[in-house]
Amino acid sequence: MKGFLETGTWKFRHAKFCGMTTVLFLILCDGAIARQTNAARAGIPPSRELTDEVGRKIQIPRNINRVVSLAPNLTEIVFALGDGNHLAGDTDFCDYPPEAAQKPHVGGPVNPNLEEIVALKPELVLATKSINRRETVNALGRIGLPVYVTEDPHSIEGMIASVKHLGSVLGAETSAATLTEDLRGRLADLDHRLAGVAQRRVLFVVWTEPLISVGRDTFIADALRRAGGRSVVETKAEWPHVSMEEIVRLQPEVLVFASAHAVDTQRDIDALRTRPGWRNLEAIQRGNVVVVSDAINRPAPRMVDAIERLAHALHPDAFTARAAPPEDSGTGFSLWGLVLADAKSHRLKPVPLTSADSNPIVEEACACDR
Amino acid sequence: MRPLTIKRLLWTCGGLGLLLLASVVLALKLGAVPVSVTDLVLDLGRIAIGRADELPTEYRLIVFDLRLPRILLGILVGAALSVAGASFQALLRNPLADPYVLGVSSGAALGSILALIIAPGFALVTPLGALLGAIATIAGVYFLGRREGQLDSTTLLLGGIILASFFSAIILFLMTTLTGRDLRGMAYWLMGDLSTPVSAGMQWIFIVGLVAGIGAIYSTSADLNLLLTGEREATHLGVNVTRVKLVVYVSASLLTALAVSASGAIGYVGLLVPHAVRLIFGSDYRLLIPASALCGAIAIVLADTLARTVVSPTELPVGAMTAMAGAPLFIYLLRRGLR
Repeated sequence: MKGFLETGTWKFRHAKFCGMTTVLFLILCDGAIARQTNAARAGIPPSRELTDEVGRKIQIPRNINRVVSLAPNLTEIVFALGDGNHLAGDTDFCDYPPEAAQKPHVGGPVNPNLEEIVALKPELVLATKSINRRETVNALGRIGLPVYVTEDPHSIEGMIASVKHLGSVLGAETSAATLTEDLRGRLADLDHRLAGVAQRRVLFVVWTEPLISVGRDTFIADALRRAGGRSVVETKAEWPHVSMEEIVRLQPEVLVFASAHAVDTQRDIDALRTRPGWRNLEAIQRGNVVVVSDAINRPAPRMVDAIERLAHALHPDAFTARAAPPEDSGTGFSLWGLVLADAKSHRLKPVPLTSADSNPIVEEACACDR
Repeated sequence: MRPLTIKRLLWTCGGLGLLLLASVVLALKLGAVPVSVTDLVLDLGRIAIGRADELPTEYRLIVFDLRLPRILLGILVGAALSVAGASFQALLRNPLADPYVLGVSSGAALGSILALIIAPGFALVTPLGALLGAIATIAGVYFLGRREGQLDSTTLLLGGIILASFFSAIILFLMTTLTGRDLRGMAYWLMGDLSTPVSAGMQWIFIVGLVAGIGAIYSTSADLNLLLTGEREATHLGVNVTRVKLVVYVSASLLTALAVSASGAIGYVGLLVPHAVRLIFGSDYRLLIPASALCGAIAIVLADTLARTVVSPTELPVGAMTAMAGAPLFIYLLRRGLR
């Protein structure tokens, strides 16, 4: 009886001991395995530290295979660098190139779904300083996702710098070098052709009601300068809300609209011909209106195409020796150049732009501006 | 009115607590990554015993680092706004009083923006500025609404609406003129938005502030019942009206300030939730305060879940959701109450 009890106790103790050892062993193994995998995770893709364009330090893997872009212009840059296959996701507004629209979307740039971003398992998230919110960037940073933030480009050169930076971040230095060289070459050619021509006085219309134009430190103002134009709006604010009275006083020579849907825009422009204020603009009366691709609104390489086309529209004489750049239909790119809406027939027909010297009213307006 | 017993209080709060738990589980389940409820319970268990490492990284990040903190913040904000609304309704003896309608939310928003402009580096600047803004606004509304020593409810509400639009105009002016500063995100925040996580240190400030604020208001709930009959009557019944009013004003402003600095100006919760609670559970403040806190939390958690999922992957601000869902619900409750 005693023996049985003792054996029972022994058995119990033994079982308890074995159990505890097993548990302890498992815990140790578990810890060891966990440490090992952590080390492997940290070790195998070697990471590097870099500073983004707004001065934040981030840690990214050396080979980046999954990128999420939070702005349409960054998506375009990634594709232009030939890195589109590494783009794991982008925003609802990323529509160029067409492949960008097929990528999984994470919502709008201002209010992306953070869960959706994390679910795409990106190794790097690209964001801009002004389109995206700082709160989004901070939230992603806090949960350990590296976010490369680009500075707002205030010039075409700034856009080209971003292309170069993103090229080195994504490991596409060679294509970035080729691309930037090409862009710079085309811009230099444009400068050469437009050397000596009189700048057109332009009103760039971002929005019609209320009238919003561009300030002097924006990339669009720089694009206008590169295309041989000059914005009549001279202000420090980036997207100024301009008074119509002021525009009627300044009488711009040409109105420039940016749109992906030229036909709709043309309809809107026709409607402006009867609108108070707008109908008092020489440019509207004469049909000196240029509709360029909305690529001009996005600081990405495609912007240079839009600049070339705008330059053609503003200064056709400077390009007479050379054929116009080919129309790349199907990408949403469209240029109506200088179109006059025939009010009676509602048909649009291209007309040459009234040159400044044959137009005394414009001359007067210039004097007034000075 | 049924007499309030401890048993009834506990049963009501327990039931609402379970409802809140159910809505939290629902909120955790829905979103970019779908989760089954059983997995959720198991994973919560894993996290509770400190073995969160076993979960897949993305899954853990999404559900427990993004979704859960957001839901918890929603609970805090909902409870704060509802209790603040219920207290303002008692203090001003006006069933339409609410932090949003009275302009207190706008005042808090303006306060935090001004504070951010004056001292951008200081961490506590937003809630402190919001608190000062909220207190100043409610004092302003109170004085605007006073006529010959008595509160006039129409003047009071008009005062609130006028102050709210005045503050909104100043905020718009500041956001337009101060282009150099990063106030752009504020426009989104102003609509009422829970998508921005609050830093860990702030979370504790919110929790402590919320418990203190609701606790202080709850301690005066018996007096608030008497105050509803009128200030003079309450004084005759032995209520220290000045003290009660001070405590409740400061606490309700604190709650509004916390909610606004965490999530911007979310409207209608402070108005609708106490009303719904009153219609269902009666108007005894000893039950109304805790029941409003729980129902407000449920309302915000559900509204934010809708805001996250209804046009996924894009998110709506939760303020748009509360306004959209709140108005029809209010009409329904009003008509039911009239019958």
